[in-house]
Amino acid sequence: MNAIIQCRGVEKIYRQGAVDVPALRGVDLEIGAGEFATLSGPSGSGKTTLLSLIGGLDRPTAGEIAVDGAPMGPMSANQLADLRLHKIGFVFQTYSLVPVLSAAENVEFILQLLGQPKAERAARAKRVLGEVGLAGLEDRRPARLSGGQQQRVAVARALAPKPAIVLADEPTANLDSQNAEELIALMARLNAASGVTFLIATHDSRVIAHSRRQIEMIDGKITRDEPALAPA
Amino acid sequence: MGALSLLAPIAWRNLWRNPRRTFITLAVVATGVWSILSFDVMFRAIADGSREAALRLLTGEAQVHALGYLDDPDISRRLPAPSGALLASLNGPMVAGWAARVRVPAVGQSEYRTRAVTLVGVDPTAEREVSDVPTEIGAGRYLLGPGDAGVVIGRDLAARLKTRLGKRIIVMAQAADGHLAETGFVIVGLYDNTQGAEDEFVFTGLTPAQSMLGVGADISEISFDAAGTAGLDRALASVKQAAPGADVQSWMTLVPLAYTIESFSQTYTAIWLAIMFVLMAIGIVNTQLMAVFERTREFGLLQALGMRPGLVVLLVSMESALLIGLGVVVGIGLALATVAPFTHGLDLGFLAAGAELAGVGRVLYPRLDLHDTVTYSLIVWGLGIVAALWPAQAAAKASPAAAMAQA
Repeated sequence: MNAIIQCRGVEKIYRQGAVDVPALRGVDLEIGAGEFATLSGPSGSGKTTLLSLIGGLDRPTAGEIAVDGAPMGPMSANQLADLRLHKIGFVFQTYSLVPVLSAAENVEFILQLLGQPKAERAARAKRVLGEVGLAGLEDRRPARLSGGQQQRVAVARALAPKPAIVLADEPTANLDSQNAEELIALMARLNAASGVTFLIATHDSRVIAHSRRQIEMIDGKITRDEPALAPA
Repeated sequence: MGALSLLAPIAWRNLWRNPRRTFITLAVVATGVWSILSFDVMFRAIADGSREAALRLLTGEAQVHALGYLDDPDISRRLPAPSGALLASLNGPMVAGWAARVRVPAVGQSEYRTRAVTLVGVDPTAEREVSDVPTEIGAGRYLLGPGDAGVVIGRDLAARLKTRLGKRIIVMAQAADGHLAETGFVIVGLYDNTQGAEDEFVFTGLTPAQSMLGVGADISEISFDAAGTAGLDRALASVKQAAPGADVQSWMTLVPLAYTIESFSQTYTAIWLAIMFVLMAIGIVNTQLMAVFERTREFGLLQALGMRPGLVVLLVSMESALLIGLGVVVGIGLALATVAPFTHGLDLGFLAAGAELAGVGRVLYPRLDLHDTVTYSLIVWGLGIVAALWPAQAAAKASPAAAMAQA
């Protein structure tokens, strides 16, 4: 399997006043194309930090990360932004939609950044919103959508540009059980259908239960990395 | 263009996320622009009024005298009637109109009183080219031709001399040969102008004045206006070249008060612009900083989704451009509404004495000048965008992860 994410000796130290707080302590990790993997562990274990570094939202203190074979260390802020735009989709825990844009416009916005023509991006936005079960709600702004619907829009937005990877940080944390189940099933289905790689930071056992690879972190280190015993 | 179509709708909608703050900023900018433009309009009206009052009395845009006349306007300091190169220059394309005059200090005497006056011998047809006095007749008539032997005096002088239309006054002045010449003139008209002008100038035909003073066809001065708005320097140069032995001066040195008021109006407006801009900048930077800091997470999100930091700066700048632009438009509208009631003139009759003291005409004509409006609006707009760059840079410089970690 081709590794789409490669982490070698990744360390991240945050400086809080005069104190250095290590968040990652030498992480080595490879994620193959098309995987549906979860990063789990208690709060403060470094899941979100690792996801941020893989997504190019921050830079490691030491070590190297490559996405789709491209090392991120030497990249400028613009190059990292371009990498995110072309290769990586994000689903965040909360507040991940632009509030002044409708559901369709939130999805189209990414496609417009990619330079797609209006008709093409409108059609694509309508299709992916349909795929996540939001047909008929395209014109609603986030304030008029439920939490579950907003996360579906975020998933649609992440998938619309056909990225190589979707990074999701606690996507079900603010959802009720039913919406959480539906979102997990949706992401698993899209992974199976499109082959896009999913790496999900979570401590939701329902999400972990759906994953085909479970990576566990404690205190900034990977303590367990193995295929799921009973993949969904 | 692509970035504009991408960001413009977002920028516009973002303006209305916090209508109260948007309206406060709009009010600050609109009030600033309104005050700058209104200030400019009033100062320009005062300057124009002062200039017109001075120039359209007798001065014109420039004058030609014999050397020394301006220091001592004696009849001995006079010029021959224009001819040759000077006449060609005055009749040339650079000069819009000109009038030759005899102008000497004199004494006007009625049956009751005597007043110091200035006797001005004019050619009425030429005079209309450079002076408004022929159109300011309040009673009787203006002079009919250069040979008209009547006099037109100011209404206030008539009151001071306790005389009236149709009565005769004696005018005495030193003649060219040194003797005291005196002539009785019938008052054919009374003109209205500033009190100072009404009291001073007594007009008669050019020929009777020359005859009374024994100067033949000689004159005391030539007033002329340049053709076109930017042609005064060229007209002055042309006339100076044609009259090398004469004293040729522009209104700026002939009427320094009017010139000073005009110069000061630009300086005062610039100072006011600076003050208002500093106040506006404080308001703009404050509100934009608040808007940016409140949305730090959102800017982090946009960058996380693949928007380059430069586009974040462009987005915030565009919001500022739209907001300040809207404020500028409202400010211009307010200024137009302020000036509109006075398009036919702002009568300063109730301040006549003060206005005259300041060298200003009795009626001001405040008008919003297109060039000034565009210039000041663009300055406010441009500087406002520059002021908002600081918050915009602040929005873009944080890493997406740090921005999104903000509460």
